[in-house]
Amino acid sequence: MANDEPGSGVWEPIRTVGRWSIHLRTHLTVLAIVVVSELIGSHQFGVGPGQVVLLPLLYAVVIGILVSYSVLGRYLQPLRAVVSKDVSEVSAPLLTVALMPLAVKYGTQVGPEFNNLVSAGPAFLLQELGNLGTIFVALPVALLLGLRREAIGGAVSIAREATFAVVTERYGIESPEGRGVIGVYLTGTVFGTIFFGLLGGLAPITGLHPLALSMACGMGSASMMTACSSSLAEAVSGVSAERLLAFAATSNLLTALTGIYVLIFVSLPLINRLYAFARPLVGGEDA
Amino acid sequence: MTLESPAFEANIAKMLVVIGVVTVVGNAIGYGISPVEAAPGMALIAVIGFVSLLLGRHVPLEFPAFAYATVIGLVLSLPFSPVQELVLSLTDPVQFLATTTPILAYAGLSIGLQVTSMKRMSWKIVVVAICAFTGTFVGSALIAQAILSYQGLI
Repeated sequence: MANDEPGSGVWEPIRTVGRWSIHLRTHLTVLAIVVVSELIGSHQFGVGPGQVVLLPLLYAVVIGILVSYSVLGRYLQPLRAVVSKDVSEVSAPLLTVALMPLAVKYGTQVGPEFNNLVSAGPAFLLQELGNLGTIFVALPVALLLGLRREAIGGAVSIAREATFAVVTERYGIESPEGRGVIGVYLTGTVFGTIFFGLLGGLAPITGLHPLALSMACGMGSASMMTACSSSLAEAVSGVSAERLLAFAATSNLLTALTGIYVLIFVSLPLINRLYAFARPLVGGEDA
Repeated sequence: MTLESPAFEANIAKMLVVIGVVTVVGNAIGYGISPVEAAPGMALIAVIGFVSLLLGRHVPLEFPAFAYATVIGLVLSLPFSPVQELVLSLTDPVQFLATTTPILAYAGLSIGLQVTSMKRMSWKIVVVAICAFTGTFVGSALIAQAILSYQGLI
């Protein structure tokens, strides 16, 4: 599933019995990150016709990465003692729990907008096909960079959990396709929210309507959608933030429902055909 | 599944309380809303979250807890829901953005686990990833724009 959902068996780290020190360090670190991020507050500044929108959620992810054991914790002994590897391991399943309040808030934004959403139904359904845009943009680039079958796994979608599962199951995690999907998955995990947070603020430059842009924010990852739609809502005026968030959340929900079928029946067959066609044009036969 | 049922429920309940407290603190600092005002709504949200996590775990569908929580929040706040006003008046003091900051703090900390594998990756796949993200976004936005204008909604 594409919503930052851990698979079965990864809940173990949230066990509290005999693990109070780890939990205390984890939650106090999170509390400190939240306090600092909220104190900095939202800031936005114009870049040409667009807005760069900096929200507390973006500082929180950056600070979280920086203080973790494998980044600054590698060099700073006191930090390593507090924010240990255990803290990172507990944080992974907690991400899923922490998503619940956001999910409920999304629901309460969508409910009151119900009638508007129904009238926009056809656009919601058809824009799901827009997710194929990833193939047409990323496959040529991957081939020009000299990637081979890695391009299949890397360019077939934005590689959230569902895609990751399907591709690694079909081709094997050690295959070139598997390496491609892992690479894009990891890139999204590390930079996805930051990237989409910035993209959401800059997207109005395209001249497209904020409602169309908010639908595009819902692409199957709860945290990326949130960064994207929150920044978009801050950057534009004229359409209410509630409506933009409701459209993004609905689009995300539809992607969650349809994404895996589109991947299996449309995206993977399509990218394999395009690859077979385009690969010889860029440089000889497959190795 | 290594965390068996009674332990799972007890632990996610504790974690929801912790996250509720962190969210209410952030909500006070960032948006100036008193914790007393936000607490009842946060409690309702935590209960829905608890139910959703259970549904996500026990219902044999490929439907994540996140989606259950969204659908429950949606159904309760529909225009024809008898509890719409109550639910919205309770949840309104909990700011949307205040719920996002703790998530990304946990996300950032957990990314620590991936940083080492990132270093072993080729820069090329990072470029491909950025193209994939941008392609999805632009593709969806263009189609949505076309259909919404065709329908006369924008």
